[in-house]
Amino acid sequence: MVSKKHLHIESSGQLCIYCGACVGVCPLNCVYLDETRITFDEKVCTRCEICVKACPVGAIEIG
Amino acid sequence: MENLKTDVLVVGAGPAGSMAAKWAAKSGAKVLLIEKRQEIGSPVRCGEGISKSWLPEVGITPSSKWINVEVEGARIYAPNEKCLEINEKNAGNEVGYVVERDGFDKALAIDAANAGTDVLLKTAATAIRRENGRIVGVKAKRSGEAFDIDATVTIGADGFESQIGRWAGLPTNLALRDMDSCLQYRMTNVDCDVRYCDFYLGKVTPGGYVWVFPKAEGLANVGIGVQLSKIKGMAEARQYLDDWISKHPAYSKGKRIDIVGGGVSISAPMKTTSTDGFLLVGDAARMIDPLTGGGIANGCIAGKICGEYAARAVALGTPTKEFFQGYEKDWRARLEEKLYRNWLAKEKLCSLSDETFNKVVDALQGVKLEKLTVHNILKAVRDKYPEVTKEFAEFL
Ligand SMILES: Cc1cc2nc3c(=O)[nH]c(=O)nc-3n(C[C@H](O)[C@H](O)[C@H](O)COP(=O)(O)OP(=O)(O)OC[C@H]3O[C@@H](n4cnc5c(N)ncnc54)[C@H](O)[C@@H]3O)c2cc1C
Repeated sequence: MVSKKHLHIESSGQLCIYCGACVGVCPLNCVYLDETRITFDEKVCTRCEICVKACPVGAIEIG
Repeated sequence: MENLKTDVLVVGAGPAGSMAAKWAAKSGAKVLLIEKRQEIGSPVRCGEGISKSWLPEVGITPSSKWINVEVEGARIYAPNEKCLEINEKNAGNEVGYVVERDGFDKALAIDAANAGTDVLLKTAATAIRRENGRIVGVKAKRSGEAFDIDATVTIGADGFESQIGRWAGLPTNLALRDMDSCLQYRMTNVDCDVRYCDFYLGKVTPGGYVWVFPKAEGLANVGIGVQLSKIKGMAEARQYLDDWISKHPAYSKGKRIDIVGGGVSISAPMKTTSTDGFLLVGDAARMIDPLTGGGIANGCIAGKICGEYAARAVALGTPTKEFFQGYEKDWRARLEEKLYRNWLAKEKLCSLSDETFNKVVDALQGVKLEKLTVHNILKAVRDKYPEVTKEFAEFL
């Protein structure tokens, strides 16, 4: 099995502003925003990195 | 939590959802509006600029409860900082009020509730439910508890981050070039002019613009949208905005008191926004104006049409794809031509060099335009810089 890149969202309030930009761009519907919590379905995520670009504050890191 | 049953279920209590709920209830349906947040309208994700010509059409009465300032016009700044002043008359009403968006959204939700809509907060749709191929409601979660909602018609009004459209099988995916990443600070202690909404164009903001919308003397929303296909790395929206602010002393001396982000679609209109038992509306249906990035007006206008169709489908017992062709026809008749026109104009603007922007704004100095249309602008530019209009041949 090919191991996927590590996915990290800085959502503890340091960077993430819970704006939902990453949710709206995800082509696979695998990001979910619940008020002040963002979760990724890591199994579905293909690490396409569109959300990384869409995040206006740079809170998502993949690598 | 017990399962619930309603005629019309609206998912999302933004402007589009509250409007749809209000008009469905007014048309006689039993309506339930669910919202995953605990407070409608908050946190705000908006520049808060709206035009005003459309308000009577959807039954919104302007109120000092949510209007901060009434602006006289807009100023468009070329990269060389020369500006074009557009007053309300020739701007075709593109500007009007700067609003308190949370108050605005709450006012719309109150209207919906007063029309008979039931409202459930902290309640998220988590999946679509289908029977014999038709959408018959959603799976929902309220304060951690899962339950089902049965509905004759389900309306997806869950905004830019919409998942419901995709669950329903509608093509809501956006290409990189169809989306702007936005960031905005509310800033105090700035030198803004409360008579104008300001827009700054050019390379300082790739594929988008910087906006300054005044909230009061010394207080403004200063924001940016950048097109995803034109940026490379992380947090570029913030870098471009911080950079722009640092070069503008009127704003760099200000203090940031709030930070707002979000995504805005700048795509051409979607081909399909309905299916059996289901209607999509507002940002979820990518109804944002691709030129201005404004989506409140279109969401409300289509929301009303959407609510009325949902109620009619309930009354007639026809919540079918075929019946909802009427919804497609009506919202498109009202909005689609302008969405297309502005999408084309946006595509063109995104490709212009700073030099061309400068010439366009320069050519328009002192020119009186009857109405601000792409055609009229280009005619004026042609008089001064004929070579520039060659780039726009398709619009003339
Ligand atoms: C930074 C920024 C600046 C903007 N500036 C302007 C501007 O100046 N003028 C303008 O006209 N437009 C502006 N827009 C666009 C405008 O904010 C939107 O077009 C408008 O909010 C769309 O309304 P809506 O009702 O479709 O969606 P929203 O207002 O996004 O409402 C959707 C609602 O659905 C809820 N929801 C989502 N998923 C679920 C679920 N699964 N279950 C239950 N509820 C759910 C959300 O919590 C939200 O309350 C801006 C956007 C951004 C990001």
